[in-house]
Amino acid sequence: MKKISVKEFYELEKKDLSLSLITHPNTMQGNITTSFLNRPGLALTGYFDRFEYNRIQIFGETEISYLQSLKEEVLYNNIKETLVYDIPAIIITKGLSVPKQIEFLANEMMIPIFSSRLSTDKLFNSIRIYLQGIFAESKTIHGTLIDVFGVGILLTGKSGIGKSECALELVERGQRLITDDVVKITSKDDILVGGATNNYGHFMEVRGIGLIDVAKMFGIQAVRMKKRIDVQIELMPWKDNMDYERIGLSNHSVDILGNKIPIIYLPISPGKNIAVIIEVVAMNHISKLFGYDAAKEYTNKLQEELTRKAKLREKQIEEKK
Amino acid sequence: MIRKTIKIVNKLGMHARPATMIVKAATKYRSEFRIVKSDMEINGKSIMGVMTLAAEFGSELELVADGVDEKFLIQEIVEMFLNKFGEE
Repeated sequence: MKKISVKEFYELEKKDLSLSLITHPNTMQGNITTSFLNRPGLALTGYFDRFEYNRIQIFGETEISYLQSLKEEVLYNNIKETLVYDIPAIIITKGLSVPKQIEFLANEMMIPIFSSRLSTDKLFNSIRIYLQGIFAESKTIHGTLIDVFGVGILLTGKSGIGKSECALELVERGQRLITDDVVKITSKDDILVGGATNNYGHFMEVRGIGLIDVAKMFGIQAVRMKKRIDVQIELMPWKDNMDYERIGLSNHSVDILGNKIPIIYLPISPGKNIAVIIEVVAMNHISKLFGYDAAKEYTNKLQEELTRKAKLREKQIEEKK
Repeated sequence: MIRKTIKIVNKLGMHARPATMIVKAATKYRSEFRIVKSDMEINGKSIMGVMTLAAEFGSELELVADGVDEKFLIQEIVEMFLNKFGEE
Protein backbone atom coordinates (compact mmCIF):
# COMPACT_ATOMS: atom_id res chain seq x y z
CA MET A 1 0.00 0.00 0.00
CA LYS A 2 1.24 3.47 -0.82
CA LYS A 3 1.81 5.90 2.00
CA ILE A 4 3.42 9.20 2.82
CA SER A 5 4.67 10.18 6.24
CA VAL A 6 2.99 13.10 7.94
CA LYS A 7 6.37 14.78 8.32
CA GLU A 8 7.01 14.60 4.59
CA PHE A 9 3.51 15.84 3.86
CA TYR A 10 4.06 18.82 6.15
CA GLU A 11 7.47 19.69 4.71
CA LEU A 12 6.23 19.53 1.13
CA GLU A 13 2.87 21.19 1.55
CA LYS A 14 3.23 23.71 4.37
CA LYS A 15 3.66 26.55 1.90
CA ASP A 16 0.84 25.66 -0.49
CA LEU A 17 -1.62 24.83 2.28
CA SER A 18 -0.22 27.55 4.58
CA LEU A 19 0.13 25.06 7.41
CA SER A 20 1.73 25.56 10.79
CA LEU A 21 2.24 22.93 13.44
CA ILE A 22 0.49 23.63 16.73
CA THR A 23 1.53 20.53 18.64
CA HIS A 24 5.03 19.34 19.47
CA PRO A 25 7.17 18.32 16.43
CA ASN A 26 7.49 14.80 17.92
CA THR A 27 3.80 14.23 17.30
CA MET A 28 4.45 13.88 13.57
CA GLN A 29 5.02 10.15 13.59
CA GLY A 30 2.25 8.57 11.57
CA ASN A 31 1.65 7.96 7.91
CA ILE A 32 -1.10 9.06 5.57
CA THR A 33 -2.43 6.00 3.78
CA THR A 34 -5.41 7.32 1.86
CA SER A 35 -6.26 10.30 -0.32
CA PHE A 36 -9.62 10.72 1.41
CA LEU A 37 -10.30 13.31 4.07
CA ASN A 38 -12.77 13.28 6.90
CA ARG A 39 -14.72 15.84 8.87
CA PRO A 40 -15.19 14.24 12.24
CA GLY A 41 -18.51 15.99 13.05
CA LEU A 42 -20.42 13.07 14.56
CA ALA A 43 -17.35 11.49 16.14
CA LEU A 44 -16.98 14.59 18.31
CA THR A 45 -20.47 13.98 19.67
CA GLY A 46 -19.48 10.46 20.68
CA TYR A 47 -20.79 8.51 17.70
CA PHE A 48 -17.90 6.34 16.46
CA ASP A 49 -19.59 3.81 14.15
CA ARG A 50 -18.01 4.23 10.72
CA PHE A 51 -15.54 6.81 12.02
CA GLU A 52 -12.90 7.06 9.28
CA TYR A 53 -10.06 7.66 11.71
CA ASN A 54 -7.29 6.69 9.25
CA ARG A 55 -7.96 9.78 7.16
CA ILE A 56 -6.70 13.29 7.83
CA GLN A 57 -9.33 14.94 10.03
CA ILE A 58 -10.42 18.42 9.06
CA PHE A 59 -11.82 20.66 11.79
CA GLY A 60 -13.77 23.53 10.24
CA GLU A 61 -15.85 26.24 11.81
CA THR A 62 -18.67 23.78 12.52
CA GLU A 63 -16.46 21.46 14.56
CA ILE A 64 -14.71 24.23 16.44
CA SER A 65 -17.88 26.12 17.32
CA TYR A 66 -19.52 22.87 18.44
CA LEU A 67 -16.56 22.06 20.68
CA GLN A 68 -16.59 25.56 22.14
CA SER A 69 -20.24 25.13 23.04
CA LEU A 70 -19.48 22.09 25.19
CA LYS A 71 -18.89 22.09 28.94
CA GLU A 72 -15.28 21.57 29.87
CA GLU A 73 -15.50 17.97 31.14
CA VAL A 74 -17.67 16.90 28.21
CA LEU A 75 -15.26 18.50 25.80
CA TYR A 76 -12.32 16.78 27.48
CA ASN A 77 -14.01 13.36 27.39
CA ASN A 78 -15.24 13.61 23.82
CA ILE A 79 -11.86 14.72 22.52
CA LYS A 80 -10.11 12.01 24.49
CA GLU A 81 -12.37 9.34 23.04
CA THR A 82 -11.75 10.68 19.53
CA LEU A 83 -7.99 10.92 19.88
CA VAL A 84 -7.74 7.34 21.12
CA TYR A 85 -8.04 6.37 17.46
CA ASP A 86 -4.88 6.24 15.38
CA ILE A 87 -5.47 9.51 13.53
CA PRO A 88 -2.64 10.55 11.16
CA ALA A 89 -3.19 14.28 11.56
CA ILE A 90 -5.75 16.96 12.34
CA ILE A 91 -5.97 20.18 10.40
CA ILE A 92 -7.84 23.20 11.69
CA THR A 93 -8.99 25.52 8.92
CA LYS A 94 -9.27 29.32 8.64
CA GLY A 95 -6.64 29.72 11.35
CA LEU A 96 -9.29 29.14 14.02
CA SER A 97 -8.08 28.95 17.58
CA VAL A 98 -8.07 25.54 19.21
CA PRO A 99 -9.40 24.90 22.73
CA LYS A 100 -6.40 24.37 25.04
CA GLN A 101 -7.59 20.91 26.15
CA ILE A 102 -7.42 19.63 22.59
CA GLU A 103 -3.86 20.80 22.15
CA PHE A 104 -2.90 19.24 25.48
CA LEU A 105 -4.53 15.89 24.68
CA ALA A 106 -3.08 15.78 21.17
CA ASN A 107 0.41 16.30 22.58
CA GLU A 108 -0.20 13.57 25.12
CA MET A 109 -1.53 11.13 22.58
CA MET A 110 1.00 12.01 19.88
CA ILE A 111 -1.43 13.24 17.25
CA PRO A 112 -0.23 16.26 15.27
CA ILE A 113 -2.51 19.26 14.86
CA PHE A 114 -1.90 21.72 12.05
CA SER A 115 -3.52 25.05 11.55
CA SER A 116 -4.21 26.27 8.05
CA ARG A 117 -5.19 29.74 6.98
CA LEU A 118 -7.18 28.39 4.05
CA SER A 119 -10.95 28.02 4.14
CA THR A 120 -12.29 24.50 4.63
CA ASP A 121 -13.47 24.25 1.04
CA LYS A 122 -10.18 25.42 -0.43
CA LEU A 123 -8.16 23.21 1.87
CA PHE A 124 -10.27 20.18 0.97
CA ASN A 125 -9.67 20.73 -2.72
CA SER A 126 -5.96 21.43 -2.43
CA ILE A 127 -5.23 18.44 -0.21
CA ARG A 128 -7.34 16.13 -2.36
CA ILE A 129 -5.50 17.14 -5.52
CA TYR A 130 -2.15 16.71 -3.80
CA LEU A 131 -2.98 13.35 -2.20
CA GLN A 132 -4.63 11.99 -5.33
CA GLY A 133 -1.39 12.65 -7.15
CA ILE A 134 0.46 10.65 -4.51
CA PHE A 135 -2.00 7.80 -4.28
CA ALA A 136 -2.85 7.61 -7.97
CA GLU A 137 -2.28 4.22 -9.53
CA SER A 138 0.47 4.19 -12.08
CA LYS A 139 2.48 1.87 -14.24
CA THR A 140 5.10 2.11 -16.91
CA ILE A 141 4.73 0.49 -20.28
CA HIS A 142 6.86 0.08 -23.34
CA GLY A 143 5.63 2.51 -25.96
CA THR A 144 5.72 6.03 -27.34
CA LEU A 145 3.33 8.83 -26.47
CA ILE A 146 2.59 11.57 -28.99
CA ASP A 147 0.12 14.42 -29.09
CA VAL A 148 -1.49 14.36 -32.52
CA PHE A 149 -3.85 17.30 -33.12
CA GLY A 150 -4.50 17.30 -29.37
CA VAL A 151 -5.30 13.59 -29.24
CA GLY A 152 -2.97 11.62 -26.98
CA ILE A 153 -1.83 8.60 -28.98
CA LEU A 154 -0.05 5.76 -27.23
CA LEU A 155 1.97 3.81 -29.79
CA THR A 156 2.78 0.27 -28.80
CA GLY A 157 4.19 -2.77 -30.54
CA LYS A 158 7.22 -5.04 -30.49
CA SER A 159 10.57 -3.36 -30.24
CA GLY A 160 12.08 -2.63 -33.60
CA ILE A 161 8.73 -2.29 -35.32
CA GLY A 162 9.30 1.42 -35.81
CA LYS A 163 7.54 3.30 -33.03
CA SER A 164 10.33 5.82 -32.64
CA GLU A 165 10.72 6.36 -36.37
CA CYS A 166 7.00 6.85 -36.64
CA ALA A 167 7.02 9.37 -33.79
CA LEU A 168 9.89 11.16 -35.51
CA GLU A 169 7.92 11.53 -38.69
CA LEU A 170 4.90 12.79 -36.75
CA VAL A 171 7.10 15.34 -35.02
CA GLU A 172 8.42 16.41 -38.36
CA ARG A 173 4.84 16.92 -39.49
CA GLY A 174 4.25 19.27 -36.56
CA GLN A 175 2.97 16.89 -33.90
CA ARG A 176 4.39 16.80 -30.39
CA LEU A 177 6.35 14.11 -28.60
CA ILE A 178 5.73 13.43 -24.92
CA THR A 179 8.04 10.49 -24.38
CA ASP A 180 9.64 7.66 -26.30
CA ASP A 181 10.22 4.05 -25.29
CA VAL A 182 8.97 4.15 -21.68
CA VAL A 183 5.69 5.82 -20.78
CA LYS A 184 4.65 6.33 -17.20
CA ILE A 185 0.88 6.17 -17.04
CA THR A 186 -1.05 7.55 -14.09
CA SER A 187 -4.75 7.13 -13.53
CA LYS A 188 -6.29 10.24 -12.01
CA ASP A 189 -10.03 10.88 -11.79
CA ASP A 190 -10.73 8.30 -14.51
CA ILE A 191 -8.27 9.94 -16.85
CA LEU A 192 -5.05 8.35 -18.01
CA VAL A 193 -2.12 10.73 -18.09
CA GLY A 194 1.19 9.75 -19.63
CA GLY A 195 4.60 11.27 -19.20
CA ALA A 196 8.27 10.42 -18.99
CA THR A 197 9.72 8.49 -16.09
CA ASN A 198 12.60 10.95 -15.70
CA ASN A 199 13.17 14.63 -16.39
CA TYR A 200 16.22 14.29 -18.62
CA GLY A 201 14.36 15.76 -21.56
CA HIS A 202 12.99 14.41 -24.79
CA PHE A 203 15.60 11.98 -25.94
CA MET A 204 14.96 9.24 -28.42
CA GLU A 205 16.89 6.34 -29.81
CA VAL A 206 16.86 5.98 -33.56
CA ARG A 207 18.26 2.69 -34.78
CA GLY A 208 21.46 3.24 -36.69
CA ILE A 209 21.98 6.79 -35.39
CA GLY A 210 21.79 6.52 -31.64
CA LEU A 211 20.34 9.05 -29.24
CA ILE A 212 18.92 12.34 -30.43
CA ASP A 213 17.40 15.25 -28.52
CA VAL A 214 14.04 15.99 -30.08
CA ALA A 215 13.52 19.34 -28.32
CA LYS A 216 16.95 20.63 -29.43
CA MET A 217 16.55 19.36 -32.96
CA PHE A 218 12.95 20.28 -33.74
CA GLY A 219 12.40 23.07 -31.24
CA ILE A 220 10.40 23.40 -28.10
CA GLN A 221 7.09 23.31 -29.99
CA ALA A 222 7.80 19.67 -30.87
CA VAL A 223 7.55 18.41 -27.31
CA ARG A 224 5.36 18.46 -24.26
CA MET A 225 5.62 17.09 -20.73
CA LYS A 226 2.34 15.32 -20.12
CA LYS A 227 -0.71 14.36 -22.08
CA ARG A 228 -3.98 12.60 -21.49
CA ILE A 229 -3.97 9.26 -23.33
CA ASP A 230 -6.99 8.97 -25.63
CA VAL A 231 -6.23 6.14 -28.04
CA GLN A 232 -3.79 3.25 -28.15
CA ILE A 233 -2.42 2.15 -31.48
CA GLU A 234 -0.73 -1.22 -31.61
CA LEU A 235 1.61 -1.53 -34.56
CA MET A 236 1.93 -5.05 -35.89
CA PRO A 237 3.63 -6.65 -38.85
CA TRP A 238 1.28 -7.26 -41.74
CA LYS A 239 0.01 -10.84 -41.95
CA ASP A 240 -2.06 -12.04 -44.87
CA ASN A 241 -4.66 -13.88 -42.87
CA MET A 242 -5.03 -11.44 -39.99
CA ASP A 243 -8.51 -10.26 -39.16
CA TYR A 244 -8.07 -6.49 -39.55
CA GLU A 245 -10.86 -4.02 -39.00
CA ARG A 246 -12.39 -3.17 -42.35
CA ILE A 247 -15.33 -0.88 -41.74
CA GLY A 248 -14.81 0.52 -38.24
CA LEU A 249 -18.16 -0.40 -36.73
CA SER A 250 -16.76 -2.65 -34.04
CA ASN A 251 -14.77 -0.63 -31.56
CA HIS A 252 -12.13 -2.48 -29.59
CA SER A 253 -10.94 -1.18 -26.27
CA VAL A 254 -8.14 -1.93 -23.87
CA ASP A 255 -8.06 -1.69 -20.10
CA ILE A 256 -5.27 0.37 -18.59
CA LEU A 257 -5.36 0.78 -14.79
CA GLY A 258 -9.11 0.23 -14.83
CA ASN A 259 -9.80 2.80 -17.55
CA LYS A 260 -11.01 1.72 -20.96
CA ILE A 261 -9.59 3.43 -24.01
CA PRO A 262 -10.06 2.55 -27.66
CA ILE A 263 -7.33 0.46 -29.27
CA ILE A 264 -6.55 0.16 -32.95
CA TYR A 265 -4.51 -2.71 -34.35
CA LEU A 266 -2.58 -1.25 -37.22
CA PRO A 267 -0.86 -3.57 -39.67
CA ILE A 268 2.28 -2.09 -41.11
CA SER A 269 4.15 -3.06 -44.23
CA PRO A 270 6.89 -1.45 -46.29
CA GLY A 271 5.75 1.57 -48.23
CA LYS A 272 2.88 2.41 -45.90
CA ASN A 273 2.97 5.88 -44.46
CA ILE A 274 2.10 5.14 -40.85
CA ALA A 275 2.43 8.76 -39.71
CA VAL A 276 -0.36 9.85 -42.04
CA ILE A 277 -2.53 6.96 -40.90
CA ILE A 278 -1.97 7.92 -37.28
CA GLU A 279 -3.01 11.48 -38.04
CA VAL A 280 -6.13 10.05 -39.63
CA VAL A 281 -6.80 7.98 -36.50
CA ALA A 282 -6.54 11.15 -34.42
CA MET A 283 -8.85 13.13 -36.72
CA ASN A 284 -11.35 10.28 -36.82
CA HIS A 285 -11.30 10.20 -33.03
CA ILE A 286 -12.03 13.93 -32.81
CA SER A 287 -14.74 13.51 -35.42
CA LYS A 288 -16.40 10.81 -33.30
CA LEU A 289 -16.19 13.06 -30.23
CA PHE A 290 -18.12 15.64 -32.23
CA GLY A 291 -20.74 12.98 -32.96
CA TYR A 292 -19.82 12.09 -36.53
CA ASP A 293 -18.95 8.45 -37.18
CA ALA A 294 -18.04 7.90 -40.82
CA ALA A 295 -18.48 4.12 -40.61
CA LYS A 296 -21.98 4.50 -39.20
CA GLU A 297 -22.86 7.21 -41.70
CA TYR A 298 -21.89 5.08 -44.67
CA THR A 299 -23.49 1.87 -43.46
CA ASN A 300 -26.73 3.67 -42.57
CA LYS A 301 -26.91 5.05 -46.09
CA LEU A 302 -26.31 1.58 -47.48
CA GLN A 303 -29.00 0.09 -45.27
CA GLU A 304 -31.50 2.73 -46.42
CA GLU A 305 -30.77 1.97 -50.04
CA LEU A 306 -31.12 -1.77 -49.48
CA THR A 307 -34.52 -1.34 -47.82
CA ARG A 308 -35.74 1.01 -50.53
CA LYS A 309 -34.66 -1.31 -53.33
CA ALA A 310 -36.10 -4.39 -51.65
CA LYS A 311 -39.49 -2.67 -51.37
CA LEU A 312 -39.36 -1.59 -54.97
CA ARG A 313 -38.62 -5.14 -56.07
CA GLU A 314 -41.53 -6.48 -54.03
CA LYS A 315 -43.85 -3.97 -55.68
CA GLN A 316 -42.68 -4.92 -59.17
CA ILE A 317 -43.27 -8.61 -58.48
CA GLU A 318 -46.77 -7.91 -57.24
CA GLU A 319 -47.57 -5.80 -60.29
CA LYS A 320 -46.48 -8.59 -62.59
CA LYS A 321 -48.96 -10.89 -60.93
CA MET B 1 -12.55 -20.04 -63.66
CA ILE B 2 -15.85 -20.70 -61.92
CA ARG B 3 -19.01 -18.65 -62.32
CA LYS B 4 -21.91 -19.10 -60.01
CA THR B 5 -25.18 -17.20 -59.89
CA ILE B 6 -26.74 -16.70 -56.50
CA LYS B 7 -29.74 -14.94 -55.06
CA ILE B 8 -29.71 -12.90 -51.87
CA VAL B 9 -32.05 -14.64 -49.45
CA ASN B 10 -31.51 -12.69 -46.25
CA LYS B 11 -34.08 -9.96 -45.67
CA LEU B 12 -31.66 -7.17 -44.86
CA GLY B 13 -29.69 -7.66 -48.06
CA MET B 14 -25.93 -7.25 -48.28
CA HIS B 15 -25.32 -4.64 -45.62
CA ALA B 16 -22.06 -3.92 -43.82
CA ARG B 17 -21.81 -7.08 -41.76
CA PRO B 18 -22.35 -9.63 -44.56
CA ALA B 19 -20.09 -7.58 -46.80
CA THR B 20 -17.33 -7.80 -44.22
CA MET B 21 -17.87 -11.55 -43.87
CA ILE B 22 -17.53 -12.08 -47.60
CA VAL B 23 -14.43 -9.94 -47.94
CA LYS B 24 -12.74 -11.54 -44.95
CA ALA B 25 -13.50 -15.02 -46.25
CA ALA B 26 -12.38 -14.23 -49.79
CA THR B 27 -9.07 -12.64 -48.75
CA LYS B 28 -7.99 -15.96 -47.26
CA TYR B 29 -7.78 -17.45 -50.76
CA ARG B 30 -5.23 -16.83 -53.46
CA SER B 31 -7.72 -16.88 -56.31
CA GLU B 32 -9.07 -13.71 -57.78
CA PHE B 33 -12.62 -13.01 -56.81
CA ARG B 34 -15.12 -10.74 -58.53
CA ILE B 35 -18.80 -10.13 -57.99
CA VAL B 36 -21.05 -9.03 -60.84
CA LYS B 37 -24.41 -7.38 -60.43
CA SER B 38 -26.13 -6.35 -63.70
CA ASP B 39 -23.66 -3.88 -65.23
CA MET B 40 -21.45 -3.57 -62.15
CA GLU B 41 -18.39 -5.67 -61.60
CA ILE B 42 -16.29 -5.26 -58.46
CA ASN B 43 -13.39 -6.91 -56.68
CA GLY B 44 -14.83 -9.26 -54.05
CA LYS B 45 -11.87 -8.72 -51.77
CA SER B 46 -12.54 -4.99 -51.43
CA ILE B 47 -14.99 -3.95 -48.75
CA MET B 48 -15.96 -0.69 -50.45
CA GLY B 49 -16.50 -2.58 -53.67
CA VAL B 50 -18.83 -5.14 -52.14
CA MET B 51 -20.84 -2.47 -50.33
CA THR B 52 -21.07 -0.37 -53.49
CA LEU B 53 -23.13 -3.14 -55.09
CA ALA B 54 -25.94 -2.33 -52.62
CA ALA B 55 -27.38 -5.78 -53.31
CA GLU B 56 -30.85 -5.93 -51.80
CA PHE B 57 -33.01 -8.88 -50.74
CA GLY B 58 -34.07 -10.89 -53.78
CA SER B 59 -31.43 -9.53 -56.15
CA GLU B 60 -29.11 -11.79 -58.10
CA LEU B 61 -25.33 -11.78 -58.11
CA GLU B 62 -22.76 -13.62 -60.14
CA LEU B 63 -19.73 -14.82 -58.26
CA VAL B 64 -16.60 -15.24 -60.35
CA ALA B 65 -13.49 -16.92 -58.94
CA ASP B 66 -10.30 -17.58 -60.83
CA GLY B 67 -7.21 -19.30 -59.43
CA VAL B 68 -5.80 -22.40 -57.81
CA ASP B 69 -8.27 -22.55 -54.94
CA GLU B 70 -11.29 -21.13 -56.79
CA LYS B 71 -13.46 -24.14 -55.93
CA PHE B 72 -13.03 -23.75 -52.18
CA LEU B 73 -13.50 -20.00 -52.33
CA ILE B 74 -16.83 -20.28 -54.16
CA GLN B 75 -17.92 -23.08 -51.87
CA GLU B 76 -17.34 -21.03 -48.73
CA ILE B 77 -18.95 -17.89 -50.11
CA VAL B 78 -22.00 -19.74 -51.43
CA GLU B 79 -22.49 -21.38 -48.08
CA MET B 80 -22.53 -17.96 -46.42
CA PHE B 81 -25.26 -16.79 -48.77
CA LEU B 82 -27.33 -19.92 -48.17
CA ASN B 83 -26.93 -19.55 -44.39
CA LYS B 84 -28.30 -16.01 -44.76
CA PHE B 85 -25.04 -14.80 -43.16
CA GLY B 86 -26.24 -16.16 -39.86
CA GLU B 87 -29.21 -13.78 -39.81
CA GLU B 88 -32.91 -14.46 -39.16
